[in-house]
Amino acid sequence: MAPVSIRVLIAFLLIAAGLVAPAAVLAQQAPPAAPPAWQQGRATEQSSSTLHPFVPQMTGRPASELPIDKLKVPAGFKVEVWVDGVPEARSLALGDKGTVFVSNRLAKNVYAIVDHGGQREVKVILKGLNAPNGIAFGKGTLYVAERNRITRYDGIEDRLDNPPEGKVVVDGLDPQTQPGHFWKFLALGPDGKLYYNVGSPQNITMPAYFQATISRVDPQTGVVETYAQGVRNSVGFDWHPRTQELWFTDNGRDWMDDEIPADKLNVAKHKGENFGFPYCHQGDTLDPEYGKNRSCAEFTPPVLKLGAHVAPLGMRFYTGKMFPAEYKDNIFIARHGSWDRSVKQGYDVFRVALDDTGKVVKAEPFLTGFLVDAKADPPMWGRPVDVLVMKDGALLVSDDYNGIIYRVSYK
Amino acid sequence: MGRQKAQVCLACHGPAGNSTNPVMPSLAGQPAQFIATELYQFHEGNRKDPQMTPIAANLSNADMNDLAAYFSAQKSAPPLHITDPANAAVAPKLAQQFNCVQCHGSALLGQQHIPRLAGQQYEYLKTQLHGFKAQTRADIDGNMTMAAQALTDKEIDILADYLAGLGAS
Repeated sequence: MAPVSIRVLIAFLLIAAGLVAPAAVLAQQAPPAAPPAWQQGRATEQSSSTLHPFVPQMTGRPASELPIDKLKVPAGFKVEVWVDGVPEARSLALGDKGTVFVSNRLAKNVYAIVDHGGQREVKVILKGLNAPNGIAFGKGTLYVAERNRITRYDGIEDRLDNPPEGKVVVDGLDPQTQPGHFWKFLALGPDGKLYYNVGSPQNITMPAYFQATISRVDPQTGVVETYAQGVRNSVGFDWHPRTQELWFTDNGRDWMDDEIPADKLNVAKHKGENFGFPYCHQGDTLDPEYGKNRSCAEFTPPVLKLGAHVAPLGMRFYTGKMFPAEYKDNIFIARHGSWDRSVKQGYDVFRVALDDTGKVVKAEPFLTGFLVDAKADPPMWGRPVDVLVMKDGALLVSDDYNGIIYRVSYK
Repeated sequence: MGRQKAQVCLACHGPAGNSTNPVMPSLAGQPAQFIATELYQFHEGNRKDPQMTPIAANLSNADMNDLAAYFSAQKSAPPLHITDPANAAVAPKLAQQFNCVQCHGSALLGQQHIPRLAGQQYEYLKTQLHGFKAQTRADIDGNMTMAAQALTDKEIDILADYLAGLGAS
């Protein structure tokens, strides 16, 4: 049997082959091959570019081999390795009984990490899933968003060694087997619904109606709704603890320029807003192709520009009690990139402070030290993916490049 | 540590990972991340091979990393393969046209999770390219499966013949 990753590609490849040219024509004129999804939209003059995305160390790397002592946090804070040996650690979710769940994107597992009084045990609880990047926990149930479906695992924390079969909440979420941005982020909203993204299928193309959205599904009924549109690829969202509004990160297009567009921090105040993709980038810059005849005024602008190509992924409001009072309701954002820049930036956990009206009053790097040489390839030794506020108020940070989870605490 | 663990590999992959058998890939001088990624793919059952699957099944992540570190540190021997001059004349253009150099680098020496192609064994290269084209060869990000779709059998022959004879610096 062909591996799942290959099988899911087949449908797309048939489409792609059809879009490019039939095989008979290839033999005659030999037009260029279809570029990979991440390369789509690259201009002819960029064809000798050496920029490329990075792939995690699939086997993980032990913390003992890494320059952990180079990590920096503000005075009074401390950063340490919470656990290593969690290959391709992506999204984080916290169980009611303290279990930390960790997902994969390219690999196929979901892990549970159990803390036995300082000794942490890593268990593989689910295997063979289809890009299970999204995980969320609520009322005893673990929800997993795979490429094509969302499933639920009830009572999971009592059955970590013998997990139940997943029950399908919704299926058919990837009808076109899209080549790019096929992984999903997942979070449980204050309304009890599961929110997930469907990314743009390529770097910069016209999405189908269900793509480039944040959608939600009611786990009781399975009813799906589109919540926000024009969202190229959001891999992190959370709800403001006071206003209950949906805040989310969004990754901007590539191959435009080193400095534009900026990736975004957005807020959706209600259902039905459009955030601009593929017409308008960073709230104020029309796309050279799709932006013709459009105006950025049609779309909801970002609350904050997070920097060009920094790949903001997981984000959470800080609701813990451990950090100083000024950190209350701040947003921590994991910046996983950049790759599409000649001089790299990002590779940190970023802090955003808001005032009572939701206006940004402070935006600065919080956990740094992963980026070593902004012009090297690769430029970094670790990549933050998600953040999680623990019950004691400490902040966990996942790193998929090494399969490590860090803990930031304050005394 | 890697050297000791690697002894079992050398029977097929050649002294210090320099293969002399056209169907067996050379490992010497390959990027460490590439070697670890492929061992992981065999270990997980994503990539399948009658010889490699059982070997990789018993490896820990630390074993894979040690083997990767060992082979990536070995010097690659000059290739024995001699490229047909007619193929050598047209292949560089094909390598550009089919996006090979975009990821494998202008000298086709590989980087990070992407393998060095220069000086790799001829029959092995052909088998891999046909496998990607047939969508049966495991592929961590789908890029090679996509790239290989446009290749004709003739172009696969030309590229493999060219790459196998490329001196690796």
